[in-house]
Amino acid sequence: MDSADDPPTSTLAFLFQAEFASEEQQQKGFIDWEWLGENFTEDVVPAFLQHIYLCAVALAIALAISLPLGILAARYRGLYGPFTAITGFFYTIPSFAMFIFLLAIGFSVGVTPAIIALVLYSLLILIRNVVTGLDSVPPETKDAARGMGLTDRQILWRVELPLALPVIVAGMRIAVVTVIGIAVIASYIGGGGLGTLIFSGITRNFPTLYVTGAVLATLLAISADLLFVRTERLLSPWAHRTRGAR
Amino acid sequence: MDRILDVFQRRDFIANFIIHIELSVLATLFGLVIAMLVAILVNRSDTASTIAINIGNIGRAVPSLCILVLMLPIAGLGFDNALFALTLLAISPILINAVVGLRQVNAQIIDAARGMGLSGRQILSGIQLPIAAPIIFAGIRTSAVQVVASATLATFIGGGGLGDYIVEGFQRGDIYISLAGALAVAFLAIITEVGFGTLQRTFTPKGLRLAQARARAK
Amino acid sequence: MIEFKGVSKTYPGMDTPVVRDLSFTIEDGEICVLVGPSGCGKTTSMRMINRLIEPTEGEILIDGQDNTSMSGTQLRRKIGYAIQQTGLFPHRTIADNIGTVPGLLGWDKARIASRADELLDLVGLAPDQYRDRYPAELSGGQQQRVGVARALAADPPVMLMDEPFGAVDPITRDRLQNEFLHIQEDIKKTIVFVTHDIDEGIKMGDKIAILKEGGILAQYDTPENILVKPASEFVQSFVGGDRVLKRLSLTRVGDVDLEPANGNGNALPRINAEWTLRDALSEIIGAGADRGLVVTDGESNGGSRGAITLDSIRKISHGAVVPRG
Repeated sequence: MDSADDPPTSTLAFLFQAEFASEEQQQKGFIDWEWLGENFTEDVVPAFLQHIYLCAVALAIALAISLPLGILAARYRGLYGPFTAITGFFYTIPSFAMFIFLLAIGFSVGVTPAIIALVLYSLLILIRNVVTGLDSVPPETKDAARGMGLTDRQILWRVELPLALPVIVAGMRIAVVTVIGIAVIASYIGGGGLGTLIFSGITRNFPTLYVTGAVLATLLAISADLLFVRTERLLSPWAHRTRGAR
Repeated sequence: MDRILDVFQRRDFIANFIIHIELSVLATLFGLVIAMLVAILVNRSDTASTIAINIGNIGRAVPSLCILVLMLPIAGLGFDNALFALTLLAISPILINAVVGLRQVNAQIIDAARGMGLSGRQILSGIQLPIAAPIIFAGIRTSAVQVVASATLATFIGGGGLGDYIVEGFQRGDIYISLAGALAVAFLAIITEVGFGTLQRTFTPKGLRLAQARARAK
Repeated sequence: MIEFKGVSKTYPGMDTPVVRDLSFTIEDGEICVLVGPSGCGKTTSMRMINRLIEPTEGEILIDGQDNTSMSGTQLRRKIGYAIQQTGLFPHRTIADNIGTVPGLLGWDKARIASRADELLDLVGLAPDQYRDRYPAELSGGQQQRVGVARALAADPPVMLMDEPFGAVDPITRDRLQNEFLHIQEDIKKTIVFVTHDIDEGIKMGDKIAILKEGGILAQYDTPENILVKPASEFVQSFVGGDRVLKRLSLTRVGDVDLEPANGNGNALPRINAEWTLRDALSEIIGAGADRGLVVTDGESNGGSRGAITLDSIRKISHGAVVPRG
């Protein structure tokens, strides 16, 4: 924490220099539909898209890290403990505090610390589910594959990962929902996205703005949750087509 | 470092630290009571349980800042309203785990208990709750850690707590004030996580720990 | 005594009953086996006795008293209950598991503890070694013993057992069955025993009730009569083509009139008097002989009690019923 010679705090107040038009201050009802109509494509849609972009990038990076680490930990059991201890530590740090720590160690306000934080939060969930997923592959199945002459690499790609996929996707579901929620807070340090509407709305006491931001973020999180539930089912038809009602 | 310690020594810091703890403890406690009541209420019905789990899942998906912010127009600013929003937040993880935990108790164990003449209430308190205890505690732990973290955001709706310092630091352009708040809240979160982890192990009946160990060995 | 009087059960939303107009009587101190293919309503019938399931029609009397004359929970505390997979409570010690019903009945702690020890002894588990263990620390067979002990805890006159030995390997099952029959000689409970395995039924039952799909009583009789005089084609096929052999397994060599073992007995196969006729038959045929020398344990040479011939076994398999030893 010695790197804070030049704390990047001078740029932090950028949020409060509202970028939004300010003539709406005299409220027209609780939700100012007129304002919303006029500024929807200009302010709301970009924030929404940016939010999705931020989360997608973070998740892709997190997955690229977690998959190899998870496969490694499933092979070499001794790694699982340290991996979950370290990522579990990140996961426990409240996100608002995490952003401050990232700034304190020298990152400047913007998308980078936001994405780093989002990745750090996803690691525990994803690694855990990769390992659980690989563990759930019955040893008989792997044995049969070996008996049919598949190489270790072929077994991993053709047998283990496909069978583990539903569990991995279940992890992605939790990660996505977590990331969407934390990305809202990341707006505070310049991550952009729907949180910008919320913080801006709060500072200027303009409910239309923060309600819009909060409602959209909520809808986004719930839709992502439902989407991944569906995907999870699609990916494991065998689990839902066993005999009878079960 | 000194500048962080200076913040810790401010008179209002202790007050806000206590407010943060108060918010977290009360919200988790209220959340626990509500979640357990609902879980016990839906325990007997498949349909009600499924509905409860789905509501819980949706509740978990809602970003914490959004819950706080959406409460703003309804409840306004202040401690009570932050507490209300955090309580809502605390319910879902406990609810999901409690419903799932109570229902995943092996059907044959319940059948044996009924067959020996235990009443519904005796089965719930003597069989289902102890067997589900570890899962319920895991839910409480998730809830508590999440509430401690989200209580930092209470500052945005005038609820006070350690989030005040993070925001103050931003507003005054002094990262050390933010850092003091962040360190304190991270400390609280880790204490909560570790503390509940210990509680969870304590509340796992010995027979269940043995059963888990045996299942893992297979 | 348990009496079924015109008992039927139709589940809500189903057209056909799972149990149809069931009437029969189970005598005191007898093991009555309910057996049949899956979907025959055997478990449903058993569960109606302690009202885990309520009948739609008819009544069930226990010692002349309608089983609806008290609350379901009170009734169940007076009836032993043992099931497959045991349903032992994983979070309670073995002694606490056994003490469940006595505890509900308000026995004092010392009495519950001594009863648990007594029962552990009875089912062949050393109390000192097992009372403070948890179910997860026991093998499948040991868990089933505890399941039986738990059902016996409050010394109920009636016991319901639903495939109580179903979840163990055949060798363990055979041993548990023998031990239980041995225990039953002393305790003389009235037992309703559900199984899908006719061999287990023949072995365990004083009476067998064979049910067929739709919950209809196909035959209710002693194992011998069911084997010798199956009431219908259904019973005959359910009992199996080897019912003659099964019948032989009901009789011990020592209970049969033997022929004098004259001549040179040395070449003859040795038949233990404790064996069943089925075992004897197998041994004699396997040795290529037409008779075997019957001996008792510990006197494999000399001291012979006589000989048993293929002819006599054949006669028994067709002839009159030999009372069970």
